[in-house]
Amino acid sequence: MRESGSATQGRRRIRLARGPLTIGEPAPSIEPRLASGDPYRPDTIADGGTAFGLTVRAASVRGLAKRFVGGPRQDDLCLGVHSASSTVIAAVADGVSAAPRSDLGAALAVRYATAAVARQLDAGSVDWAAVFEQAAWALVSEARRMGSDPAAFASTLVVATVQVGGVSVAAVGDSPAFRLHRKDYDPIVGQPALDDELIGGAIDALPLDAGALETGSCALESGVVVLLCTDGVALPLAGGDGEVGRTLARELARPPDVVDFARLLDFSRSTYDDDRTLVAVWVP
Amino acid sequence: MEASARGTSEPTAAIPAPVPAPLWAGSVIGQVLPMYFVGDESHSMAGDPIAAVNQGLIDLRDEVAMHPLIGKKVRFGIITFADTAETRLELSELSEDLALPMLAPRGRGTSYASALEALRQTIPADVALLKGSGYQVHRPSVFFLSDGQPTDKAEKWRARLEELKDPGFRERPNVMAFGVGDADPEVIRELATAPRYGFMMTSGASTAGAIAEFAASMLNSMVASAERLDRGEQTIEFEKPEGFVQLDAPLV
Repeated sequence: MRESGSATQGRRRIRLARGPLTIGEPAPSIEPRLASGDPYRPDTIADGGTAFGLTVRAASVRGLAKRFVGGPRQDDLCLGVHSASSTVIAAVADGVSAAPRSDLGAALAVRYATAAVARQLDAGSVDWAAVFEQAAWALVSEARRMGSDPAAFASTLVVATVQVGGVSVAAVGDSPAFRLHRKDYDPIVGQPALDDELIGGAIDALPLDAGALETGSCALESGVVVLLCTDGVALPLAGGDGEVGRTLARELARPPDVVDFARLLDFSRSTYDDDRTLVAVWVP
Repeated sequence: MEASARGTSEPTAAIPAPVPAPLWAGSVIGQVLPMYFVGDESHSMAGDPIAAVNQGLIDLRDEVAMHPLIGKKVRFGIITFADTAETRLELSELSEDLALPMLAPRGRGTSYASALEALRQTIPADVALLKGSGYQVHRPSVFFLSDGQPTDKAEKWRARLEELKDPGFRERPNVMAFGVGDADPEVIRELATAPRYGFMMTSGASTAGAIAEFAASMLNSMVASAERLDRGEQTIEFEKPEGFVQLDAPLV
């Protein structure tokens, strides 16, 4: 005899789907240690929503390496909305591992840069050099206040202004921005390393290299996704032609919900255990 | 592609070009950091010093194998030298069942030239192999340990050192050099790729004790470097071992 729908539902266990999305060989499963230290640095942040027809998803997840030792997440992101110009502002920063307060550097850099861009949009247009100088100055001021070396706050920074018709990006360091169209990841700033080269080499970072600014811009047609990320994503992405690139392109074909987006970013893949941050903006 | 027209990466004529590594798009499966221990196996290392090296290598293997994250990211190779250089361990993953060579004193000389030349030949081949298997490869690191002075002519070992450090050598490694016993601090400093990477045992210390400290530091460096593989600049994390002087300041 067929039972009524409501009775079936009453007996069915409601279960949460658990575990990371695995791409290729999985990374080991470990229980993260809470990060100690001040200010509070949560393991994962996730945000998202729509503005001016654009759909935004953003997440920053602590890498396995830091989860294992209880270190703070050294990546960060910040979003802003500028109504008068119908602009979404996004900033992503990657604190340099060896710099002892780079977690703070990254947090300050994204917030001050986002605020600086909003102020400049109020005035009419964005002067990227001034934005990065102001973000760098925030790091230097905090370093002075704490009596430490500004280099201890070293962080990369990539900032974008996105409107329905186009995107403008500026970056110091190796945190790239891409224009994702179907399966193709076209760099807007940050060229992927050549296949025949070793990984490594000096990285520009705020506050000391604020002048080493790379800028890019492009028009955005319908269906394109603008991506800003840290090298915790860019390295396994490896230009986008591999398993990671295919998986992300497939899953980002339409915006996942905010929490699913963070879960996607927290994919498990052997040897890739750095912090990861990704901001995605869908163009209608 | 290897066929790019960048002239700077041409190896010197005496050294065969590495086998081109085909890297097909989409074949990237992981990232690795190659690390080499280059150890002195000359007769002066007999007894406690060589025993300390062997024990240090066993501890290193066991610790790395136990670590949940770094074992997959590090590849470790051992080259030894006396009057000649020998590869005693091909670049390997440090798993607990990895058979380690037992180092033993051999030969009469202390040929830095042969050790440096072996590195210059081994590293590009190893990197090509890793890339061919789909790995993103970080700049290799070398831990060089000697208790004596080079028995080669100075111009010979210096020429090999220049080839290894040549900015046109694409896979040139970061070299950390450690002197114990009768090693010459000036030579050790010259071997290191940066003055802060040169270390000399404090005078009067026990050589075997210093080697044990060196081995512990090599392990710590391996763990710290592999944990922070995100930045090439920080590929080498290293703290001065106990009982050593860092050679980045003029020696008094």
